[in-house]
Amino acid sequence: MTAGRVALRVAAGLGLGFILLPLVLVSWLSFFRDEVVVFPPSGYTLRWFRAILDQRNFVDGFVTSLEVGVFAMLAGLALGVPASLTLARYRFAGRESLGLLLLTPLVVPGVVAGTAIYVFQVETEILTRLPLVASLPGLVLAHVVITIPWTVRLVTASLVGFDRAVEEAAQNLGAGPWTTFRRVTLPLIRPGVVAAALFGFVISFGNLEMTLFLIGPGRTTLPIAILQYLEWRIDPVIAAVSLLQILVIGAAMVVTDRYVKLARVL
Amino acid sequence: MAGALVGPATLAVVLGLLVPLAILFRYSLNRFVPGRLMVDALTVENYVKFFTDPYYMAVLVRTLRVSAVCMVLCLVMGFPLAYALARTRSRWKSAVVMLVVLPLFVGNAVRAAGWMVMFGSRGLLNTLLGVVGLIDHPLQLMYTEAAVIVGITAVNLPFMVLTLESVVEGIDPAIEEAAASLGARPLQVFRRVILPLAMPGVLAGTILVFILGMNAYATPILLGGPRFQMMGPLVYGQFAGLNNWPFGAALSFVLMAATLSLSAVSNLLIQRRYRR
Repeated sequence: MTAGRVALRVAAGLGLGFILLPLVLVSWLSFFRDEVVVFPPSGYTLRWFRAILDQRNFVDGFVTSLEVGVFAMLAGLALGVPASLTLARYRFAGRESLGLLLLTPLVVPGVVAGTAIYVFQVETEILTRLPLVASLPGLVLAHVVITIPWTVRLVTASLVGFDRAVEEAAQNLGAGPWTTFRRVTLPLIRPGVVAAALFGFVISFGNLEMTLFLIGPGRTTLPIAILQYLEWRIDPVIAAVSLLQILVIGAAMVVTDRYVKLARVL
Repeated sequence: MAGALVGPATLAVVLGLLVPLAILFRYSLNRFVPGRLMVDALTVENYVKFFTDPYYMAVLVRTLRVSAVCMVLCLVMGFPLAYALARTRSRWKSAVVMLVVLPLFVGNAVRAAGWMVMFGSRGLLNTLLGVVGLIDHPLQLMYTEAAVIVGITAVNLPFMVLTLESVVEGIDPAIEEAAASLGARPLQVFRRVILPLAMPGVLAGTILVFILGMNAYATPILLGGPRFQMMGPLVYGQFAGLNNWPFGAALSFVLMAATLSLSAVSNLLIQRRYRR
């Protein structure tokens, strides 16, 4: 191996190390026996993982994030899958701009989207007297806006090379539109749909900047509970919570990667 | 038929985001009266206030400076990793790509927590420096601009790596071999062959990273502390702390205008120079 190759490997390793270092440190801290950050730790323990259960904020936040993530993912699929199928196969005026429109939430900064949706929900609340801000439906409605573009992107990616002749064949053989969809189209796009489901969940579960505006007393999501705790202190308890979030998201992504190569769709 | 299938998703995006953005823009032209909160008006005074007040301009300049430094660091640190990933035939490649992608979705607060472990007064870095004997007293590393820069760079690095990796993969290794066999040294191959060919990706990656830096929220809050203001936290403070909707809305639009115009300009540049 030449010196240049070694240098390249070292530089690449440094880059990777820099990306992973914070996750490694926070995971390490979660096993410290000491209650504060001190190096080297006096020993290791698993008790902080049980201590999480005493912190209602984290338990409630986790449940809320889970609920919001699942509902936003399902709604994202229900809205996004038919839309991407239509965009991929019908030619109609404005098709391209419609496709771009569905992707716009990806380019709007999270803080800006959050303020806009917050203002909108407050005004809607005043008009209709329906409680929206800091409610579960309010959070889901906001998160659907960010799960739709990812669904569209992933399902569209899985439609590349899709041969419409199979569907026509099914219909020629007497299958109705719904049967065709269920028995022919859906199995073919399943990898994209599964990836969209997991990805939508991950995106919603981890969202922080936009959600920040939409929570209230008594209802926070896990990433925000973590942020608020960290503004106050860092200790092994928060590190244990962080490690759990890393594991939940990591598991979802390993499964996603089996269906759609993540590096291809980002 | 097509309408019935695309309609609901379109409606969700329009009602869920675009209409709220329009309302927010309208509010940015309203007037804030302390005690009465928002009063209907049609004025640009919120924007004038932002661009004439030295405090807010300092926040904007700091945001731009931090984003620019992070952008350069991401490029320098990201290129070797992206290149190595694009060229490797190792069976570990997809595992490494996964490790690059995973932190992206874990959330910025968790990653900032890692850097807090590193930079705290009794954190890993201060301990190591003390053991080596370089310092007697712990350095103040937390709540500094340097800490924020390190944090944002680490947060955005994966985006740079993924963008660069995809362009480098599109460059035929035979071109590099040809340059090398004609006597170019590795650094010359990089500067004269790879870099020019990878330029569209470099531009796309740097702009993306710059934009993400401008919009950072959790990292400056946690690593910069309450006194270190950047645009993201500033917007939040106007809504959460001060209830000043018109000014907060104006700040949002300054931030979004900067973001969108930068990405539009970069897209234009890339298309004009590299259209085949």
